[in-house]
Amino acid sequence: MSYKPIKKNTKKQDKKSTPLNRHTSMQIKQLKEMYSHNINKDFCSRTLFANFNKKNVHLFYYASIVNSDKIEQAIVQPLLEDDGSSFPNVLTNESLKEIDTMEKVIEHINSGKVVLLSEGDCAAYSIDVSQFQHRAISQSENESVVKGPQEAFTESTHMNISLIRKQIKDKQLITTVSSVGERSKQDVTIVYISDLVNSEILKDVQERLNNIDTDNVRNVELLEQYLEERPYSIFPSIYYTERPDNAAAYIENGHIVLLMESSSACLILPVTFWTFFQSPEDRYSRFMFGNFTRMIRFIAFYLTTMISATYVALANFHSQMIPPDLLLAITASRERVPFPLLIEVLIMEVAFELIREAGIRIPSALGPTIGIVGALILGQAAVEANIISPIIVIISALSGLTSFAISDVSLNYTVRITRFLFIFAAGFMGMLTLMGAFLLWFMYAASLKSFGVRFLAPIAPSFKAPKDTLFRKAVRAELWRPTQIQPKDSKKK
Amino acid sequence: MNHLIKLIMVLFSLLLLTSCYDKVELEQQSYVIAIGIDKNEDKSTYSFTFQIANPEVGSTLASAGSTEEAKETITVPGSDILTATSIANSTVTKKIVLDHTKVIVASEKLAKSDDFLRIIQSISRAPQIRGNVQIIVCKEDASEFLNNNHPTMEQRPHKYYQYMLQRGRQTGLIPNADFHRFFQITEGDADLFLAIYATTIKEKAKEHSIIGGHDYIAGQIPQKGGNPTQFIGSAVFKEGKMIDIFSGQETRMSNVLDKTIQMNDLLTTYPDPIDPNYQVSVDYVQKTEPNVDIQYNKKTNHASIYVTVPFEVELIAIPSMVDYISNKDNQQKLRATIEETTENIANKLIEKSQKVYGSDPFYWSLYIRKKFKDIPAYEKADWNKNIYPNATINVDFQLKRMSFGKMFNDSKINEVRD
Repeated sequence: MSYKPIKKNTKKQDKKSTPLNRHTSMQIKQLKEMYSHNINKDFCSRTLFANFNKKNVHLFYYASIVNSDKIEQAIVQPLLEDDGSSFPNVLTNESLKEIDTMEKVIEHINSGKVVLLSEGDCAAYSIDVSQFQHRAISQSENESVVKGPQEAFTESTHMNISLIRKQIKDKQLITTVSSVGERSKQDVTIVYISDLVNSEILKDVQERLNNIDTDNVRNVELLEQYLEERPYSIFPSIYYTERPDNAAAYIENGHIVLLMESSSACLILPVTFWTFFQSPEDRYSRFMFGNFTRMIRFIAFYLTTMISATYVALANFHSQMIPPDLLLAITASRERVPFPLLIEVLIMEVAFELIREAGIRIPSALGPTIGIVGALILGQAAVEANIISPIIVIISALSGLTSFAISDVSLNYTVRITRFLFIFAAGFMGMLTLMGAFLLWFMYAASLKSFGVRFLAPIAPSFKAPKDTLFRKAVRAELWRPTQIQPKDSKKK
Repeated sequence: MNHLIKLIMVLFSLLLLTSCYDKVELEQQSYVIAIGIDKNEDKSTYSFTFQIANPEVGSTLASAGSTEEAKETITVPGSDILTATSIANSTVTKKIVLDHTKVIVASEKLAKSDDFLRIIQSISRAPQIRGNVQIIVCKEDASEFLNNNHPTMEQRPHKYYQYMLQRGRQTGLIPNADFHRFFQITEGDADLFLAIYATTIKEKAKEHSIIGGHDYIAGQIPQKGGNPTQFIGSAVFKEGKMIDIFSGQETRMSNVLDKTIQMNDLLTTYPDPIDPNYQVSVDYVQKTEPNVDIQYNKKTNHASIYVTVPFEVELIAIPSMVDYISNKDNQQKLRATIEETTENIANKLIEKSQKVYGSDPFYWSLYIRKKFKDIPAYEKADWNKNIYPNATINVDFQLKRMSFGKMFNDSKINEVRD
């Protein structure tokens, strides 16, 4: 694999570290100042008298992100009552950690842990009692399927990992954590199967995560934009999905999944064009049914990108290619329309995009109105007012409707932008420029890489793979993992 | 990166420079469906008739085209077709495009003159005219033909020609006479080209007692009501010049014997062998192609052509009510009559073509070409003048199967009328 890991800053090295010392009261004062103790209401500091060493112990935490019952049970009670020789002896909680620098103390407090400072001790202890609030697991809404599991990821890494582990019971399924962000450190969980994953790609992903140089990356949606190679490309290069079953399927093939605490979705990489084109249901349906759906989706893909452009090209430049009946019908309806055909098409396409955008942003209580207004104004009234001809309504409705068959959110945008590019191209010199634009678009797609993997693989270039591209084989006949990502074990057992 | 920007700029300027070259809005064009060509008195000019479709007629828009005609027919003089379109623009409001032309109508007068090839040649040069445009020869002037043709059902001209010609070819009453074929045959300098023959002028009813009942040419069918235009028969072209007219029956026969033409709907009648007062109607079915076997003797430049035509028939009407179904003897007689009658028609046509025309309308020269070493040798042997007129031709129609339709037994006329 020709492969260039990105070179960027190695800024992390000059990180400051202040070791803790024995002047505990000084450090406590420092901490309190740092956290603006007197005005920051949910920052708590408590002082307890520890029974086992007869010293004062100071607890620091954010009240809003910890479980207070747990603090009582796991920290306060043992400290006050139990005997023992050292902190690990008394505090038997599994997440107890000794920390020795001020920076670590801050990091642990911020991520929902309780930090204990003991008088005259040059080490601190942290116990994980965090309890971030999140939604319960709900149904997948943007990638709904008829046949298949309905669970979707939710905004909790813990639960998300549990959803993945439920499907892959493999001791090699690894979940490692890297942190990103300078000011606010966020955990990114990398999930993979260690004896399948391509370690070069894994290394590259970790390097990229380390190289992210920003204050805060709040969720995977933003992380995607920090990670991708070409931020200006019209093609996505990382797959975004909210379905755990989808994530599990890719992990099993040697892909890498990234999760973050505050996202109800994951990122999958590396991916190819086909990943975006497919829906998990294609595999859950039987061979015939799944492939039928794929065929429909491919037709939809063709229609949504090409139909308006083809219409412009044919009507403006190649009227001889339109059958006479249709030609005369279009001509008759166009005779009263004031705009050139290209403008007419653009009006409707833009109008459709408007409805679509408005439909997403509109409060759900007002939802039904958009349908009525859209259908009435654009469909009927515009035709009756001779602003557009009826055939345009059909064309744009078709191209708009078929775009919904491309269910992936990222590819959906690609397709919609492409449609406009093609319409303009067709408006210049007809089929000639339309084909030219298509070729350029296609060549661009072929030239792309997602983490070193060609975008159109395994078809071009060809690889041993399940050949699950436009159509898929019967599940039993799939012998290989997608070797374009070079997994450690390429044969499916 | 710098290169990329330059490349984009160059590409973009290309787009600007072309400035949507060639772009025409649909409503700014007039679509010609039929072109008529007539010879004028002086030699160098012709009259061109353009029949232009009115897009608004037949469209579902409520307000549109309610009172307008379905077509506009105008005739202008000109020396060739494209310059004529610009003259026609003195009355036609929009750009005249010939892309959707379905038929070219030539008057018989023009077709019989030497000029036909000249004018047709210039039409083929224009890229606008398609190779599948059908050539129609009409008895009257082409302008008169186009003006008199008033179909009552398919008012929109393109529909009219589409259906009319399609159905005509299916029944075999008119030939397949597209532009391509005309040039193929004319420039191949062998065989005869058949153009569609049509007219709007009715002749006096022809005395006819000929078997088959399709021995008409356009204008002879004593039709009442409907559109006066008749499409039947064909104009025979030799070397780009019209020399004769085939009747519908002859056209059918040459279509049957020509392997390059497909037909699928041949209803015809044969004389009833038992009761000569009646005719038997049959559906002629050609399931397998005829076999044309040419034996060629190089030394004598003599060809023997054996044509075998396997066919099937389905009886559709036996008005004489003779029992052909269960009576084997009768059946034998009927079979013999059908084969014999068909062969007679074929032989008559072949004889006429050998003696009168000196060439064949069946495109049989295709099968002798492979017997020659190269094209000059083939041209030297001369199919039209030497080989075909002197060839021994044997046509054998073989009735492979006879079926009897849905009902086996006819009503017993004696029992009904007792």
